[in-house]
Amino acid sequence: MDGIHDLGGREGFGPVVVSRDDPPFAEEWEARVYALSESVGAEDWSIDWFRHMVELLPPQAYLSIPYFEKWCMVMLSGFVNSGVFTPDQVLVGTTGETAQGEPKRRSLQDVMETDRRRCIDYSREQSTPPRFAVGDYVRTVRHGHAGHTRLPGYARDCVGEVVTAHGAHLLPDEVWKGNEVASPLYTVRFAARTLWGPDAPENDSVMIDLWEPYLEPA
Amino acid sequence: MPHDIEHDGAALADIHRHLHSHLPPEPALRVKALESLVVERGLVAPETLDAWIELYSEHIGPKRGAQVIARAWVDPDFHARLMDNATDAITEFGFEGNATAHLKAVENTESLHNLVVCTLCSCYPFSLLGMSPPWYKSAAYRARAVREPRMVLAEFGITLPEDVELRVWDSTAELRYLVVPQRPEGTEGWTEDQLAGLVTRNAMIGTDRDLGPGVR
Repeated sequence: MDGIHDLGGREGFGPVVVSRDDPPFAEEWEARVYALSESVGAEDWSIDWFRHMVELLPPQAYLSIPYFEKWCMVMLSGFVNSGVFTPDQVLVGTTGETAQGEPKRRSLQDVMETDRRRCIDYSREQSTPPRFAVGDYVRTVRHGHAGHTRLPGYARDCVGEVVTAHGAHLLPDEVWKGNEVASPLYTVRFAARTLWGPDAPENDSVMIDLWEPYLEPA
Repeated sequence: MPHDIEHDGAALADIHRHLHSHLPPEPALRVKALESLVVERGLVAPETLDAWIELYSEHIGPKRGAQVIARAWVDPDFHARLMDNATDAITEFGFEGNATAHLKAVENTESLHNLVVCTLCSCYPFSLLGMSPPWYKSAAYRARAVREPRMVLAEFGITLPEDVELRVWDSTAELRYLVVPQRPEGTEGWTEDQLAGLVTRNAMIGTDRDLGPGVR
């Protein structure tokens, strides 16, 4: 979707607020959100679903609320959509039910092991031969679609060179909807001048990981 | 995966709008609501949340990445394995995990600098570097790192000479990038632990370049 999240190349944001020795979480509530995101969910949630839910936040909210608040909103809205909680339960912040069940308390060792198992392989067997090879020049498509996609707006309708062919990886455009579809993934090198014009340094480039449906032969 | 749940962007955006306009504006209160709901429903124990916070506050962080870089500086065989398949290489340390299944190491040289960004969200190799820094998630960095990366680097105190090539990696897929900085001069004979102490988090993203003793 042509959402507010697609920030690459946008101007007017001012300088980066540089920092070096940041704590992992600036506020306790941020740490709680992170921990919740690792611990709860519904069956239809995937990483791509989660990313698209962030993209679907109201644009004004997307630009103004803190990073981990976006995650909190995704979980709240996601639970409503999945029928786990009603909107009214979310708004009052309680189920109004007597507490259910006694969930297992997980130790530090347990969650460390869970984190290690989240080393999730997104590659799949390639069912059809890839259309492009390393060294090929490709042109990105001009038009996207309204759902989740990973072709940034700044790199549309641009010619780049395939520098790595990764085999098939799960395609976010389908996975967010719950369809496990894979497609060849490539790293494509775009000259900075192609993207930003003749004033960009001659040898600089941007490398972008792009799936085959985003590409046409150049 | 069940297919009976709505995947309609407009309907989902409606839910967001409804909740966002009616919930209290303070993020801490929104999070409290979420935690209360899932705990009441028995979906998670508060102690489990505490364990996750401890994991990412005390155990998983940029020191992991620094150990990997230091090993690559002193051990040419490990360096080769890291450049060939970084996920396998960090598994030797037990550092594989959340968002590092397709890790790629990109190495700085005298004539090349690498910089990592995620313009579409804020993808980051969590199990190797821990939580991402605030600037990495900021709109300014995400917008500008691809368009005017040399100005962004200047804001981090790096003046990149014109003849040094700059490659910016936009993390659009499940690949994650680890920048391998150059080993600083004057560190001959240093131990891995000493070297790891020089490796900053920002260097592994590409917003530090010179790690010489006393620079940072």
